[in-house]
Amino acid sequence: MGSALIIVWRESVEAILVVGILYAWLKANDARAGMRSLMWGVAGGVGVAFAFGAVMLAIQSQLAVQTVEWMQTAIVFVAAVLIVQMVLWMREHGRRLKGELESGAADALRTGNLARIAVLAAVAVGREGAETVLFLYGLMVESSGAQLAQVTAGAALGLALALATFWLLSNGVRWMSWRLFFRVSEALLLLFASALLVGGVDRLTAADVLAAGAGPQWDTTWLLDDTRGVGNVVSQFAAYRARPDVAELTAWALYWLVVFAWIWRGRILGLFARGATSRG
Amino acid sequence: MRSRSEARSRREAVVPARCMRSLWIAATLATAALVAAPTLTYAAEMPTFTVVLKEGRLHPATLEVPANTRFKIVIRNDGPGPAELESRSLRKEKVLAPGATSFVVVAPQKPGEHDMFDEFHPDTGQGRIVVK
Repeated sequence: MGSALIIVWRESVEAILVVGILYAWLKANDARAGMRSLMWGVAGGVGVAFAFGAVMLAIQSQLAVQTVEWMQTAIVFVAAVLIVQMVLWMREHGRRLKGELESGAADALRTGNLARIAVLAAVAVGREGAETVLFLYGLMVESSGAQLAQVTAGAALGLALALATFWLLSNGVRWMSWRLFFRVSEALLLLFASALLVGGVDRLTAADVLAAGAGPQWDTTWLLDDTRGVGNVVSQFAAYRARPDVAELTAWALYWLVVFAWIWRGRILGLFARGATSRG
Repeated sequence: MRSRSEARSRREAVVPARCMRSLWIAATLATAALVAAPTLTYAAEMPTFTVVLKEGRLHPATLEVPANTRFKIVIRNDGPGPAELESRSLRKEKVLAPGATSFVVVAPQKPGEHDMFDEFHPDTGQGRIVVK
């Protein structure tokens, strides 16, 4: 019962982070169409999770197994890109969206963005969902009678815990100012996208597609152990590695370089312009 | 008047999108180039070990692998249910349906010990990887 509870809750925290922030954001902006696409996305994600689980159980050949693993790796990168796009879009439109909606000129939430919200929610839910489906299926196959009832209860409790977490997060906006919520969720999402990216690179090195270089470059396990407790959470949501390899470090550095270049592009372009005028 | 301001706001929306796309492409290419370079240089054979997951146990429970060498672990799940081989300290995990086989490649490691267990059967499926 304990492990079913923990797995269901833990695997859904990621999805809750993404869906919860989108939910709070759409609600605060009173964007009903966006809310509908969010719901469809979540439902689609649950479907994707079951489909992946069923496919993984059905296939045996090494080629088919590797094909599914490739799709899962691709989804990790797609998720990272979608989240960064979402944050950048929120930065562009977040502060004035409310005003635009009220004045009736709401073209910020056009169909393209609605689809993006749905896809992002589906990816967030479906990604880790497949593993949960397989795990629960295994528990149910291998246990019977009273044990089976316990597993089911554990899974149900895990889901309830996940929903409670979702409620806490999506209502968090009430206890802090909109501006602060905006900043916090933006930072959380950008960190999470970096974790997805580095995790995707890990998958590529494990699949022998990328070389990890000469192994771990340093070891900060003594400071913060990434295999347990806080360190584990930081590694899962912010790409912390106690023993990073070259591929992980490269991906991480390039990610933040691109993100900050984008965020500060106005300032950077301004510097260039000033340089040009002072020379001229 | 209104159409002009609309056109301007649309133009403003388009330009950053294009900028962002080229940034993304540049980043992807840079990552690919940086990481592919070392890959091409040592695609040699590497020591390979097999772990079979069966009835919630690991066979063998202890793997001895050479230090400072890349190695491959081939993982097979002989069932009856799904299983997941995981090593927290090596940051590797592989979920397998019964009957499925896959592998992970591990970067060179210093001498020491790492954990290895079946996450779906943590009570019985405990093992370790010894690097020497």
